[in-house]
Amino acid sequence: MKKARLVAIFALFSIIVLGFNSQAFCEKIINVGIKSADMGILDPHLSATTANLPIMDSIFNGLVRFKPGTVDLEQIEPDLAVRWTSSPDKKEWIFYLRKGVHFHHGFGEMTAEDVVFSLKKASAKETSRWWSNYKAFDQVVAVDRYTVKITLKYNVPSMLGLVLNFHGGMVLSKKAYEQYGDDFKLKPVGTGPFAFEEYIPKQKTVLKANDQYWRGRPKIDKIVYHFVPVSNSREMAFLKGELDVIEGIKAEWWAEKMRAKKDVIFDALGPGECTVVHFNMTRKPLDKLKVRQAMAYALNRKDFRLTYGMSITEDAVSPVPPGYLGFTSDVEKYKFNLKKAKALMKEAGYPDGFDLGKFVTSKIYLNTAELLQANLGKIGIKLEIQMVDHPTMHKMIREDVNPIVPYGCCRFPIADQYLTQFYHSESIVGKSTGITNFSHYGEVIPGVDDLIDAARVEPNLEKQKALWVKAQKKIMKDVPAYPLRVTYVVLARKKYVDLGYDLKSNITLHYQITEKTDLKR
Amino acid sequence: MFAYTVRRVLAAIPTLWVALTMIFILVRVIPGDPSAAIMGDYISEEGVQTLKHQMGLDRPLIEQYVEYLYGFCRGDFGKSLITGCSVIEEIKSALPHTLELTLLGLLVGIVTGIPLGVFLALKRNSIVDYLGRFFSLAGLSFPVFYTAVLLILLFSIKCDLLPVMGVGEEGNFASRIQHLILPSLTLGLLMMSYMTRITRSSILDVLNADYIRTAHAKGLKLKKVIFKHALKNASISLITVVGLYASILIGSSVMTEIVFSRPGLGSLIVGAMFNRDYILITSVMTIYAAIVIIINLITDLSYGLIDPRIRYE
Repeated sequence: MKKARLVAIFALFSIIVLGFNSQAFCEKIINVGIKSADMGILDPHLSATTANLPIMDSIFNGLVRFKPGTVDLEQIEPDLAVRWTSSPDKKEWIFYLRKGVHFHHGFGEMTAEDVVFSLKKASAKETSRWWSNYKAFDQVVAVDRYTVKITLKYNVPSMLGLVLNFHGGMVLSKKAYEQYGDDFKLKPVGTGPFAFEEYIPKQKTVLKANDQYWRGRPKIDKIVYHFVPVSNSREMAFLKGELDVIEGIKAEWWAEKMRAKKDVIFDALGPGECTVVHFNMTRKPLDKLKVRQAMAYALNRKDFRLTYGMSITEDAVSPVPPGYLGFTSDVEKYKFNLKKAKALMKEAGYPDGFDLGKFVTSKIYLNTAELLQANLGKIGIKLEIQMVDHPTMHKMIREDVNPIVPYGCCRFPIADQYLTQFYHSESIVGKSTGITNFSHYGEVIPGVDDLIDAARVEPNLEKQKALWVKAQKKIMKDVPAYPLRVTYVVLARKKYVDLGYDLKSNITLHYQITEKTDLKR
Repeated sequence: MFAYTVRRVLAAIPTLWVALTMIFILVRVIPGDPSAAIMGDYISEEGVQTLKHQMGLDRPLIEQYVEYLYGFCRGDFGKSLITGCSVIEEIKSALPHTLELTLLGLLVGIVTGIPLGVFLALKRNSIVDYLGRFFSLAGLSFPVFYTAVLLILLFSIKCDLLPVMGVGEEGNFASRIQHLILPSLTLGLLMMSYMTRITRSSILDVLNADYIRTAHAKGLKLKKVIFKHALKNASISLITVVGLYASILIGSSVMTEIVFSRPGLGSLIVGAMFNRDYILITSVMTIYAAIVIIINLITDLSYGLIDPRIRYE
């Protein structure tokens, strides 16, 4: 009797432990680890979180797209539009749509009506978080069933950037949006290679292959996005085989660990996150050019790169990160030179340095803050670090409490984004139009507003790039901020995951899963 | 007893109200707001104000409070500021996962900790007792996330027996249990450590009592003496500890859920805190407060059931 009971317990335990995998073996399913506790919403016009970018990227298309694996605005290729034309002054654009493209879940053929609806939705305050990007749109009209005409009030830095497969440029099904109403954000309907199937809050989102996809049926049957916020848990699930691709830890040791594994491919991709230290010029003596120059010479970029690792970072030399449209490295670089830094401090009247007081930062920037403290300490500049949590830090730096602000971010890959948000006087923190100009550049000393404004409306790309280059040169001469490091996104995938394209960068900051992506187990 | 229970339940209402009010105020006092989480860090001040207006966060705090309280009383906790989803629905989907994890952890801790505590008490000052005390102390000292990672490394990575993350497939019982074993073991080990130490000292306290000596003198078997006489008398302190540590266990479940990527209240609150989703934080914290109040109530009421000398007037 006792023996029988033991056998029964053992059998039950075996069933539980060994389980039975109900996953259909014939289906090709890719399991993706997302660094987030949850998904957020899947209305691309309303969502501003990074975690769901790869999900929306697989569901929706734009009129044009980045070539997969790149974020080069000069290599944009057709997506829902087969071709486009523009007037000489670049204020009138006509897009000719692809015929026979169908929305998921039987919502019919994609037509000009859907494109007009989507762009109007993206331009409206009530239905879009990106409406301000579309302020220049005057009219969006359907010329016929497959032709859309966009008229601009004034030129924009990149018109194609506004209609590509990213945020406001994503094309939604008008019919589905009207039918689902507010529920659309969790029942998205697009034309992409994968259709939305299921969302289980805090667990996963499942997309299934779009059999009617106009570029051909995807090789993978399903994508399962798992929300795993803890890096170690993600890594362990990856090593165990529960996840096929993951976002990793930005550290050299992690990169080396993954590179050493025979069944893993490690990828470091752009667009990188550019970390810059901004000098608040309203605080004396940071208003003195020589002091700022001395600080720039005292900061050793190599130290800052080593906090993450040399193989996953590069020197940030310009206010615009490398790879962005308009970037130049032909600027004053202030190569690390302690002697020169000390001499400049002496010339500025501070041979023994000065006390800059407290500056708030969060755990994310702790290493950078400690290095700033150590590097600047060598020329006698004293700084005290005050730690707060990340959202609190964001609030406080916008209240202008810091003498210096180390700040890292990644933006849409065009020079205008960085230049406007960090160096235009309209973006000075505290103003109603303020964004992230922490240095008060353009207020304390004359800035580059005219160059940024002129570049924004310049229809000729070469002239536009020249204006951006000029702005970068002037900024580096004035040193309202000092670029430190560009850190790349680190990802890992199992060797059997064939992306189907060459990976250099990805606007979703994750692997882009396309119709060509395959699992070659 | 019935009147006492009703009185206690009624007394719990103002406690919950005070907790809710404090949480409501505290989450709004901390700097930061949900606009950055919704719009990204490149939102302008003008955009922040527009968004605050759209979400009604620019209204007087008292107005927001009254509206929230009114909704709460009707079981409508409002909508998440970030996702716009119904908070009550989010809690409904997360709460069962937290409860199943905590209850199973509690069960594992009680079922293993009490016998182990009794055993160590009987082997007092032996090498087994020293080892047991050492390991139970180690169990208490290890943070749950560390225990969780050790268990994953052992059972998932090395032995390849159990899954690392998630809750398993809906409707697949074996898969659900598989995914529950390691998280509940993580909490269970913590609870076992508490229970072992408390049971050991409680049993030692009563082992020298007259009635135990009498029971021995009567010739009762050791098993009967321990489980019928000693343990019964030690149970009041054990129940107090179970009640107290059940609350602590719910707190520890937050980290356990995060490490194992389980969709419970823990994951919900951490995401909400980071995004400054005031409505969601207030609601989830209030639910946590309600759970603690309920546990304390059950603990108090169970005294009378176990010890007939305790009467509720």
